[in-house]
Amino acid sequence: MNTATASRYTAEYQTLAPTLPGQTLPWLKQLRCRALEKFSAHGFPSPREEEWRYTNVSAIEKKLFSPSLSLTTPPVDKVWLKGCQLEDAWSVVLVNGRFSAELSVLDGLPEAVSLMSMADALTASPAIAPLVEKYLGQAVNYSEHGFIAFNTAWFTDGLLLHVPAGQVLAKPVQLLHVVTQAETMATTRTIIIVGEMAEAKVIETFAGVDNSYLTAAVTEVFIDQNADLTLYKMQSESEKAYHFGGTYVKQGKDARFTHHNFALGGLLARSDILTDMDQASECELNGLYLGVKRQHIDSHTRINHLKPHAISREIYKGVLDDRARGVFQGRVIVAEDAQKTDSQMNNRNLLLSDNAEADTKPQLEIYADDVKCGHGVTVGQLDESSVFYLQSRCIDEETARNMLTFAFANEMVDKIRIKSLHDKVLEQVLLRFPQEGIEKSWL
Amino acid sequence: MSASAQQIKNRISQEYKQGFVTELEANTFPPGLDEAVIHKLSTIKNEPEFMLEYRLKAFRHWQTMKSPEWAFVKFDPIDYQAISYYSAPKRKEDGPKSLDEIDPQVLDAYKKLGIPLDEQERLAGVAVDAVFDSVSVATTFKGKLKEAGVIFCPISEALRDHPELVKQYLGSVVPPADNYFAALNSAVFTDGSFVYIPKGVRCPMELSTYFRINAAKTGQFERTLIIADEGSHVSYLEGCTAPMRDENQLHAAVVELIALKDATIKYSTVQNWYPGDKEGKGGIYNFVTKRADCRGENSKVSWTQVETGSAITWKYPSCILTGDNSTGEFYSVALTNNYQQADTGTKMIHIGKNTRSTIISKGISAGRAQNTYRGLVKVLKSAAYARNYTQCDSLLIGDRCGAHTFPYVEVKQPSAQVEHEATTSKISEDQLFFCRQRGLSAEDAVSMIVNGFCKAVFKELPMEFAVEAQALLGLSLEGSVG
Repeated sequence: MNTATASRYTAEYQTLAPTLPGQTLPWLKQLRCRALEKFSAHGFPSPREEEWRYTNVSAIEKKLFSPSLSLTTPPVDKVWLKGCQLEDAWSVVLVNGRFSAELSVLDGLPEAVSLMSMADALTASPAIAPLVEKYLGQAVNYSEHGFIAFNTAWFTDGLLLHVPAGQVLAKPVQLLHVVTQAETMATTRTIIIVGEMAEAKVIETFAGVDNSYLTAAVTEVFIDQNADLTLYKMQSESEKAYHFGGTYVKQGKDARFTHHNFALGGLLARSDILTDMDQASECELNGLYLGVKRQHIDSHTRINHLKPHAISREIYKGVLDDRARGVFQGRVIVAEDAQKTDSQMNNRNLLLSDNAEADTKPQLEIYADDVKCGHGVTVGQLDESSVFYLQSRCIDEETARNMLTFAFANEMVDKIRIKSLHDKVLEQVLLRFPQEGIEKSWL
Repeated sequence: MSASAQQIKNRISQEYKQGFVTELEANTFPPGLDEAVIHKLSTIKNEPEFMLEYRLKAFRHWQTMKSPEWAFVKFDPIDYQAISYYSAPKRKEDGPKSLDEIDPQVLDAYKKLGIPLDEQERLAGVAVDAVFDSVSVATTFKGKLKEAGVIFCPISEALRDHPELVKQYLGSVVPPADNYFAALNSAVFTDGSFVYIPKGVRCPMELSTYFRINAAKTGQFERTLIIADEGSHVSYLEGCTAPMRDENQLHAAVVELIALKDATIKYSTVQNWYPGDKEGKGGIYNFVTKRADCRGENSKVSWTQVETGSAITWKYPSCILTGDNSTGEFYSVALTNNYQQADTGTKMIHIGKNTRSTIISKGISAGRAQNTYRGLVKVLKSAAYARNYTQCDSLLIGDRCGAHTFPYVEVKQPSAQVEHEATTSKISEDQLFFCRQRGLSAEDAVSMIVNGFCKAVFKELPMEFAVEAQALLGLSLEGSVG
């Protein structure tokens, strides 16, 4: 723990607080104060904490990031932005942690659906503000760890998506977080509420121009009874950036939650995906992390089976090259009441270089007896007989290895159900492979 | 609940068979721990000077340490000043020369436990070192072993007769400052076994140590050191029991194994300390540090453990695979019933090339017990072509118990292959029905299924132990069906 860092942020907070949204709301002001206290006492998480054992964030502590104060959108390279934005989706854009109305595309959004910036939501009509009060901090408490406290105290903006009961969204919603300024911190808070029997697909994209900056984003998700949410997270931050992104989910009875986590960018990136499952709910967590150079990518998941008959499936794959380090920590907790739980977790890692490292920690914590739970982990190389098979068909060894590595990763990409997103992710994944090795015509 | 299940319920009143107390005069230190106690301990044991320094250094370091809290077990803080650190049955002269001189009550106690100390008896193929509270009371077959060149004696005797060997190896695998309980043990350890197998010798019989806690309000701090020199082979067994008491007693042991080039050590444990009563009162706190160093090329260490006793078990027999082509194995059955808690597993540290390790862990949790597997597989950059296979299965019996799996896998070598698999399930109604339909009682059916579940581990145990372990398993599970 580095309290010196914490106190620097605390000192700055006093002067910057008036620019943060929701200053007129006493409940929020109080919440931010308590979170700030917590943060100044404990700072960012230290590797001494079990959940942060393999991820040392002292590099973040050494820097002092500041929030963007300007409420007008800074100039953004339109071509580059277009590369991140999906065409067939409603998209909301946050630049440097502040909402940009001019870049967002919301035409044709059904009236019943609320999709707006967090700042607007806090000052909006009497129907919306109480919704924020009701849900903010309900899926995750600021005391969980330093980054949540930091985010709660500091969030400059964020998004609110409310899909009312029975509504099925015709198009996916993209929440696009971009950072264009160096040494900026983009602290955003997002709330997604999917009402009873509603259905939605949401894509969270994180991108930035080639700078060092910090993203600390927290998303709280509430999926009501029998509702269905598919959430994609595409993390392609700049290679000098620090990223923390947490997704905290509350699933109602029979609710379905599918999460796809693509972690490709960032120098030091950590993602938390935590879900609390009610009776007979289903959850599927898919993840792919590709690390090169000196990247450190940490994926942290926790599936909390609280009630009976819930099903969870999880698969995370990692490919680590150069000096990259991949961390996977997955935890499944089955409460005493959660009989008939069915849970499977898998983590597979490919190490491609002598200096790459994989640390994995799958955990089962089970308090009920009538359950079916399992997990599996592998760390290793490509199957030599597969390589040999391809070589025996006149494919040179390097190409064969590339093909197999690509196929290993592509399994996760192929799970994407939105064509435009699939193509964008695939494009990013392909950048990691030498062009001559993988020919597009195979795909 | 079916009628047969009820019958089984009624049978749980069956007591922990080894729970008797032997009444005898003992030489016991008053409770409390300070440097004076350590001086006294060292004097009583007639130890060489370096040992006293070793103990004091460990003690001073221990005072700066904090009791670890990371394990998945709950217990009240231990008052280390309320424990007596030495207790030995009174001797007539300065130690028995032959079996006839041992206190007949102590002999009786061992007979009752099924460990006959006279050499003509049933366990004729096994040499036994019997440790009673803080001292070793007898070691059998010393002569026969001496012929083969094997040194098998209490560690306090080794300190007097072979100080150079002890000095060279003691603390070289588990340094005194390793962890809280290892530091405490290094400061106050009283007895345990010392084994040295010379070059190229295959130990002619199984070696065994039987630990017995008898005196109240004492702690047992055993220290075992096994050295297998180049090309040698040894199989060592360890058993333990204690009387039934309402207070918790501390057992903090350190076991160090050193396997040099081409040597093999097989270490088997059947741990049956008093587990406490049905309400979770009493029982032994079993906080043990066991570690093996496969120093030489092609060396091999195999740990097999059957953990059925103790109120709390905190134990991670580990292998440091330093030598190229060395092998580490860990086979474990951990059974917890009533309010028992176990946090056990292993660490496999791959350092040498082509090192291999296998981990098979079977956890069975019944009643209100909590059973945790915690393991680490670490492959360092130097360990090219290292291979690990881990399988942890948990079986739950009853809806108020817990089974947890916390494996850690850290790989820094791309040519390494590490696999980990874990499952958790209960005995299914189908399996039970199938057995009952073929005329087995519910209890026999469960016992059969559980034994099948543990078979992969039991087959690693030496014969005598395997039989004992199976019987023990049946006994410990009684009352958990239904």
